[in-house]
Amino acid sequence: MADITHKTDEQLIVEKHIANLHNGFAHWPRAEEAPPALGDSRWTQDLILATWLMAETGKPPENGLEYKIGASGGGFDVLDFNIPSEDQWLPADTEIDLSIPLNRRDDGAQLKINIPMYGGGMSYGSISEHVMQARARAAQHLGTFTSTGEGGYPPSLVPYKDHIITQVATGMFGVREETIQYAPIVEFKYAQGAKPGLGGHLLGDKATDVVAAMRESVPWVSLFSPFPFHSVYSVEDHRKHVDWIRTTNPRALVSVKVSTPTDVDMVAVGSYFAGAHIVHLDGSYGGTGAAPEIAKKNIAMPIEFAIPKVHKYLVSENVREEVTLMASGGVRTAYDVAKAIALGADGCVMGTAELIAIGCTRCSNCERGRGCPFGLTTTDPLLQQLMPADWGQQRIVNMYNAYAIQLRDLLRKLGLKSIRELRGRRDLLKYVG
Amino acid sequence: MPEHREAPAGYHRYHIPTKPAPDIEKWPSRFKVKVRRTGLAKLLLSEVLHYRGRKDVILSRPCMYGVFSGPVGGFMPREEHCVGCLRCTTEFPEFVRIEHNPERQKLGDSYFTFNYVDQIAYEASSGLVPVRGAGYRGKFGGEGWDGMWTDMSEIVRPTRDGIHGRETISTVVDIGFTPNFLQFDAAGQPTGSLPHYVSVQLPILFDGGDLPGNSPAAHIYARTAAELDTLAVLPFEHAIGLGEYAHAVVPVVRPHDAPRLSQLGFTPRVVEMHGWDDALYTAIAAAFPEAIIALRTGFEDAAALVGYAQRGIKVFHLLADFHGRSPDGRFVLDLIRESHTAFVEAGIREEVTLLGSGGMIAAEHMPKAMICGLDAVAVDTPLLVALQARFNGECAGRTASHFSFPTNLNQAWGVQRLKNLAASWRDQLLEILGAMGLREVRRLRGEMGRAMFMKSLEADAFAGLLGYTEAK
Ligand code: SF4
Ligand code: SF4
Repeated sequence: MADITHKTDEQLIVEKHIANLHNGFAHWPRAEEAPPALGDSRWTQDLILATWLMAETGKPPENGLEYKIGASGGGFDVLDFNIPSEDQWLPADTEIDLSIPLNRRDDGAQLKINIPMYGGGMSYGSISEHVMQARARAAQHLGTFTSTGEGGYPPSLVPYKDHIITQVATGMFGVREETIQYAPIVEFKYAQGAKPGLGGHLLGDKATDVVAAMRESVPWVSLFSPFPFHSVYSVEDHRKHVDWIRTTNPRALVSVKVSTPTDVDMVAVGSYFAGAHIVHLDGSYGGTGAAPEIAKKNIAMPIEFAIPKVHKYLVSENVREEVTLMASGGVRTAYDVAKAIALGADGCVMGTAELIAIGCTRCSNCERGRGCPFGLTTTDPLLQQLMPADWGQQRIVNMYNAYAIQLRDLLRKLGLKSIRELRGRRDLLKYVG
Repeated sequence: MPEHREAPAGYHRYHIPTKPAPDIEKWPSRFKVKVRRTGLAKLLLSEVLHYRGRKDVILSRPCMYGVFSGPVGGFMPREEHCVGCLRCTTEFPEFVRIEHNPERQKLGDSYFTFNYVDQIAYEASSGLVPVRGAGYRGKFGGEGWDGMWTDMSEIVRPTRDGIHGRETISTVVDIGFTPNFLQFDAAGQPTGSLPHYVSVQLPILFDGGDLPGNSPAAHIYARTAAELDTLAVLPFEHAIGLGEYAHAVVPVVRPHDAPRLSQLGFTPRVVEMHGWDDALYTAIAAAFPEAIIALRTGFEDAAALVGYAQRGIKVFHLLADFHGRSPDGRFVLDLIRESHTAFVEAGIREEVTLLGSGGMIAAEHMPKAMICGLDAVAVDTPLLVALQARFNGECAGRTASHFSFPTNLNQAWGVQRLKNLAASWRDQLLEILGAMGLREVRRLRGEMGRAMFMKSLEADAFAGLLGYTEAK
């Protein structure tokens, strides 16, 4: 029997629940029946359980779990690939390249990522520091990036700074000269897909002493990031922002994260002309720590419709080869990533899938009371220990490894040697709605 | 410089006072929490042995919401506290099971599904905007309201400040007649038709025009509408006793009410005539010469509506059934667009007011209906649900539906529930307006450029894909 006498009650409580949770994450994907109250139309029981399994094994599920599509009845869920007959597939040992460049201009660092995905912004305060560390370490391991979100840059992330995007959002929380200087990429967040046009809101309960210190604010007071940037009312004003970043850190690439209004194509082209290297579209069905339900469902268009609109417009403006188009907001699986790319994106930005890999059940209680009961979207000192950073890192790495296997397999069957060849190949998609 | 500034005399910023008004009738819990007692007993025993009496460790349970905090813990879970986080079943898959409660799912009907019921119950009990974590959980799009998204602007006037109260976004709407232009005589005096309208603080009216006789809800609607500075549409026989809310009550006059118009006891600002009737119109105009006469009728014949406008009706209260359908099965969203367009094409849209009822059962339906062409929404079934009425079977027909209120329904509670609902819907409307950068709700009417429809977006995005044309 393990010696428990030298451990505090708190240590034992944390250890007990971690052991139970890990047992459950391994149990449910293999059980005959899924937990009946798990899942919804977008993230079905199968998708959640398959993601848990991939995060454990690093491989696509082989037990019949549906890991490619959800049951939303539209968007990615009514698209499939038009796979040619087997004699046209590339040989099994073909090297398939999943890397994409993030800078297509001839200024700034020529950054590329090994997989066509990086982690989206989740702020310190809306998620725990352990989650941030897990994501950053996973990004380093995989040769990609993750984003700070708008909540500051905890010192524990500095060792991974070459893989961290610093986000500058409308509240400017945690934006400091050094955090701009750390950053290989600086991301301006103009809007967020889950709550487009509404800015951000950190509930007072989550603004603990540490979180408030990081944001240079008052503890336990709700924080609002306004909408929009009060210094930006035109593309020219945006250019001024880009110049400000360039002055502070001339090496940094600039990403512009926008939502998906009717004129999203114009916004994208405007962002490009103002100097963006990356235009990041965040569709309306994306994740959030807290957002009005009315905004999640009703404001702005889903990413599946925004990508082709922007891609076509960038092509028609003759600038498509000079800008990297990243898509997020409802991209849940490796197949969603591939479909987004076939519709015209260069790659995708992932958020919810990473949280699911580390134990999220999509219960939507992130903002309630002490925060996430699984220790993810919380600043509660006890709860956040439920998700140790090293465990989380491995789960995220495993999930992306499983995605990479799927993407390589798909590309091989489509006769493509690189993910870059898939971009805009609508001819390889079929509608199955 | 004065030390402080005072608001001009008589100015007050519109505000709806909310306060918690919890359910008075216990509804079934959202989740069923099933714990196998033998499994739990075994766990306890093994933990007692393993942790050697370390009580806090042994008693540390997965639920943070108090479900297992009753006197006998997990042996008798307090299901009403369960929020469905699934931590317990993740930790103890062998003996804890969480299910959606089928009894809860029976609330409402096939159109007003339990998800909408849940939403209204939350809004009416709290007065708050429903805010939750994680992303959208529903279907991708769909028919009707679900196939429509509203626009936003990346770079707009900072109306977000308005949402947090530093600047005002107006939700005032005018109900009545405004001429396309004013005419003046040689002396500069206005001639011809002059504006004749009432302003209300919300594009939300209460429609109880089909409430059955002696419904306890009528008084609640009238008092709440008066306190909110909006209007409650009520059958004439209900309106007779509600003179103390004269400012807010809109009596619905049916032909059989004509002989007793003088019994009303007050002069209403607006009267609704139930269906076009020459004689009734004349009688109402004679009895209430100052009142605006609105026509309460179906949506179905847009051309006929334009004809009524030419005969003097300037306010139309258009009705679909409670499921948002016309008798020929068309959906209210399309019906609103048709009516609005008919008036635009006749060149008189600015002169008339279009109110609508039927099938608008969530806060988001209000701005969508306004974008499609309504000036304001006269809410019906959501008021019933806010007052915890239970539907008996399908609640679709305006007069054929059956529902029952809680036996302990009382006025103070009912008024607060409706105020909370109105506050929550207004705040959600402000979210939508703020995202668009609009500073007053009147600008939303007919702003079709601010709507995105699934059919056209999907065609733009997917046309040309293998299988798309065939499927469509
Ligand atoms: S509260 Fe629920 S939805 Fe939010 S992160 Fe935790 S498990 Fe996921
Ligand atoms: S699902 Fe969550 S809220 Fe419900 S009993 Fe289990 S732990 Fe408690």
